[in-house]
Amino acid sequence: MFKLSYFLEVLPIIARKVNVTFELTIVSTIFALLIGVVVAIINYYKVKGLHQLTRVYVSVMRGTPIVAQLYFFYYGLALYSAVIRDMTPLVAVAVVMSFNMGAFMSESIRGALLSVDEGQKEAAYSLGMTNFQLITRIIIPQAVRVALPPLFNDVINLIKMTSLAFMLGVPDIMGAAKIEGAKTFRYFEIYAAVMLIYWVIIFLLGLVHKVLEKKCANMY
Amino acid sequence: MGTEKPMVKIEHLYKEFDSDTKVLKDINLTINKNEVIAILGPSGTGKSTLLRCLNYLTVPTKGIIEIGDIRIDAENHTKKDVIELRKHSSMVFQGYNLFKNKTAIENVMEALVVVQKKSKEEAEKTALELLAKVGMLERKDFYPSKLSGGQQQRVGIARALAVNPNVLLFDEPTSALDPELVGEVLNTIKSLAEEGTTMILVTHEIGFAREVATRVLFMDGGQIAADGTPEEIIDHPENERIQQFLKFISN
Repeated sequence: MFKLSYFLEVLPIIARKVNVTFELTIVSTIFALLIGVVVAIINYYKVKGLHQLTRVYVSVMRGTPIVAQLYFFYYGLALYSAVIRDMTPLVAVAVVMSFNMGAFMSESIRGALLSVDEGQKEAAYSLGMTNFQLITRIIIPQAVRVALPPLFNDVINLIKMTSLAFMLGVPDIMGAAKIEGAKTFRYFEIYAAVMLIYWVIIFLLGLVHKVLEKKCANMY
Repeated sequence: MGTEKPMVKIEHLYKEFDSDTKVLKDINLTINKNEVIAILGPSGTGKSTLLRCLNYLTVPTKGIIEIGDIRIDAENHTKKDVIELRKHSSMVFQGYNLFKNKTAIENVMEALVVVQKKSKEEAEKTALELLAKVGMLERKDFYPSKLSGGQQQRVGIARALAVNPNVLLFDEPTSALDPELVGEVLNTIKSLAEEGTTMILVTHEIGFAREVATRVLFMDGGQIAADGTPEEIIDHPENERIQQFLKFISN
């Protein structure tokens, strides 16, 4: 039976590891956004040469499981790269998740860029604006609002994805749970605690999203 | 006046989307200052394409366009040429195409600040004058989503006027409007015509063209089939195609 006292005992032990989850999420989100913006713009303008390359990148990242990507990078590629061999598991996970999420975010951003209608672009051109002025002053400000909901979804997925970090030995929430489980075998309480922690994090993020969305809706 | 340089000059302009669709075939046209040109004609005869070629929103296949002091050859032009050309004209669109993330006054100021590099104060002063001119002063801080189609189009006209173009291009400016909103936009255009603004209008409003245009072009099959005064083209058309077209429109 579910033992509340044990649940309350193990919850803070596991919750102590949220800092690893946060670190991974924040670092990966920043790099994924950077990658996402660059890839989305390359795709949007169909930059010759690069454009085909980014399509392949997005296709591979979306079409293969993240676990396979983690192993491929940390155990596969590492055979041929001293840089990867010297990485701590935490860094390796952050790298793979940044690239993985970057692909998803690039699609979210690309969709948002495409949502700005052709007419506004023509208006900007007809007034003598350059491509750069058009994208920075008209397209991106409008695309941000459209991209927000899908990007929040991507971050939610990323947070949950970080639970795989323990597969490379990063001692995160899942790692702590495994260790506790080995000690007490009370998996029911332990994984209930794990789920509660993730759920609370994502619920709070959802609140932030709501506030931001409301602000955006009132913008124009 | 007779020796004054023409405002717009088009020489041997062609546009082909592919070898089968020749939209413009050897267009030659000279437009002088203060002329108000109405371009009439059936759908798909190249009216809008001609207008869009004038500021290279559609890039012509061949031919030369001259507006003010800039001359550009379709077969040999740079990005810079195109931007220069666009600074000499401006366009009012069928779908208004206001910048949605900017208020009415910001829409008008945008090109002044970004393209002409004017100070914010100067741009604001010009924008206020123009918004007053089109009767949109009291809604200057509204975003496009909060304006009716007619109001958006009047802001669109103010935005086009802001860059002080050699020629104003109107691409069916009232076609997307509800009938009760057409009048306010036509009145705005009419007052510009009375001030002597040089403009080219692609329109289906024959009555309006008759009233404001100083010159009417009838396009058919990618060519200018007739070119004359409103009296000649609309009241006493000799060309059979024009007669058919006018009959069709008035029904």
